[in-house]
Amino acid sequence: MFHRRSMIAAAIAGVMLGGVTAAVPAPVHAQENLIDSIVQRGVMRVGVGNFVPWVFRSKTGDIVGFEVDVATKLAEDMGVQVEFVPTVWDGMIPALLAGNFDVVISGMSITPQRNLRVNFTTPYASSGNMLAASVQRMPDRASLDDFNDRSVIIAAVRGSTAAAAVQAQLPRARLIQFDAEADVLQEVLNGNADALVASVPKPGRDAATFPDQLYIPVRETFRGTLEAFALRKGDADALNFFNNWILVNVANGFLEERWDYWFVGQDWADLVPE
Amino acid sequence: MFENPTQRRLGWLDVVLICVLLLGVAWIIYRVETRLVYNWNWGMIPGYFWFLDPITGQWRSNMLLQGLLTTIRMTIWASIIALIVGTLMAIARISPLPSVAWLARTYVELVRNLPPLVFIFIFFFFLSTPISNQLGLADWARALEGTQRSIVTFLFGPPNLFANFITGTICLALFEAAYVTEIIRAGIQNVGRGQWEASTALGLNRWRTLRLVILPQAIRRILPPLTGQMISLIKDSSIVSLISVQELTFTGQQISVATRRVFEVWLTVAALYFVLCFSLSIVSRRLEARFRRADR
Repeated sequence: MFHRRSMIAAAIAGVMLGGVTAAVPAPVHAQENLIDSIVQRGVMRVGVGNFVPWVFRSKTGDIVGFEVDVATKLAEDMGVQVEFVPTVWDGMIPALLAGNFDVVISGMSITPQRNLRVNFTTPYASSGNMLAASVQRMPDRASLDDFNDRSVIIAAVRGSTAAAAVQAQLPRARLIQFDAEADVLQEVLNGNADALVASVPKPGRDAATFPDQLYIPVRETFRGTLEAFALRKGDADALNFFNNWILVNVANGFLEERWDYWFVGQDWADLVPE
Repeated sequence: MFENPTQRRLGWLDVVLICVLLLGVAWIIYRVETRLVYNWNWGMIPGYFWFLDPITGQWRSNMLLQGLLTTIRMTIWASIIALIVGTLMAIARISPLPSVAWLARTYVELVRNLPPLVFIFIFFFFLSTPISNQLGLADWARALEGTQRSIVTFLFGPPNLFANFITGTICLALFEAAYVTEIIRAGIQNVGRGQWEASTALGLNRWRTLRLVILPQAIRRILPPLTGQMISLIKDSSIVSLISVQELTFTGQQISVATRRVFEVWLTVAALYFVLCFSLSIVSRRLEARFRRADR
């Protein structure tokens, strides 16, 4: 019997040791030269999530949005192709660290928690979160304080700054989280939540699409956020390159022009059905 | 001798049960119609299978079809790998060498006692991604040209998603292989001890006994549970959407975000999974019936 037990222990130890040693090569990236390897490969791999109109799928299945324009111009300036890697939002940073792609350009807001694990560039966009409330469940409110109550249920995307904003600004409300924006909206339309919080301009667009069910009680955004590229730590050259690319494209107006196209105008509305 | 269940007559209890069920369905439909303020729009769904490209004038496949194809490809490859690994592990499980047997046992117990999601996360982030980066799978697939590119695309899907597809498939295969191991081991051990003894008496060595005597008999018994496992592999394949493999569930999620049409999209995705699994279970029932006839 003792013999058998020690065999199990040895086998488990062996497997665990194998796992640990195999996991060790991951931080090889610590010494990487990202820009050189992108140029050498001729392809920049960009991790993207799924948030309208930052980055989403069009009617014809193409990846489109503000981030696509940004990343495409960036790749063009580097003289390389761009390749998008659609990734679940929750797994974005782990996938970046594991080396699934070179950089995250997906409306990722800078937060200290995220910054502990990845490097952020200079912000290339700034936005904020807005609350859209259910007409049926919470009509005629005009203050955020009305929503800071134990009886209020607020929906947001898991791991988003919107969810963090709810926890910080409306700590008494009950936050329910979903993996996708569509589920967040549906929960409020179904009458299971009182309000949703998402980054602008999504709540405004939702309220415009469903005027009988949703309205915007407070016009100003709460908790302004700064969006930046995220990359693995330890590569100052890459950080410098991306930072300066952003500075140049703020100065020449490219980023603002694209922002207006996607976030202010509605010229792209026929990219999604109806 | 046994009554064929399809020829049984409906009793009063059946009628009551069916009525209750129909009432339940009607109540749900009523609730959906009144409570859910929802304008159904099924018109957008076909366009997500395929659409006429106005620029080229050709029909192009869209996300739902691509996602379905990825799911089918992944299921086929993962089943093949799971079958090979599972057979090897099953043979290792009954090996006379304790170290080999316990190694296989450790693998099976480790995988079977972890939730699939946890296993897939650990495997993906710690093992398969670093290894696939080390091997340069993505670069290899990207550099393919001509016929080679078409072959790889046919077998594994779009080359730019090749590395992602392979790591996802291997995760899934190694997860399912643990269950396949147990099915095959049970099948082998179900073949009577006498068969082993008779083979040994005939002078067959262990390997030839397995190959010529035991496995052919075991296959009959393991085929039904094996197809059942394959059906659950199709369903489990939806989990790898969380490591961003672009299969049916993942593309479904992407469409529902872009269109805000949650119900139409998920009902369609559910129907596709159902058709896939149900047709496989019909095939498996036919196979089972054939083997039963052959057994007589």
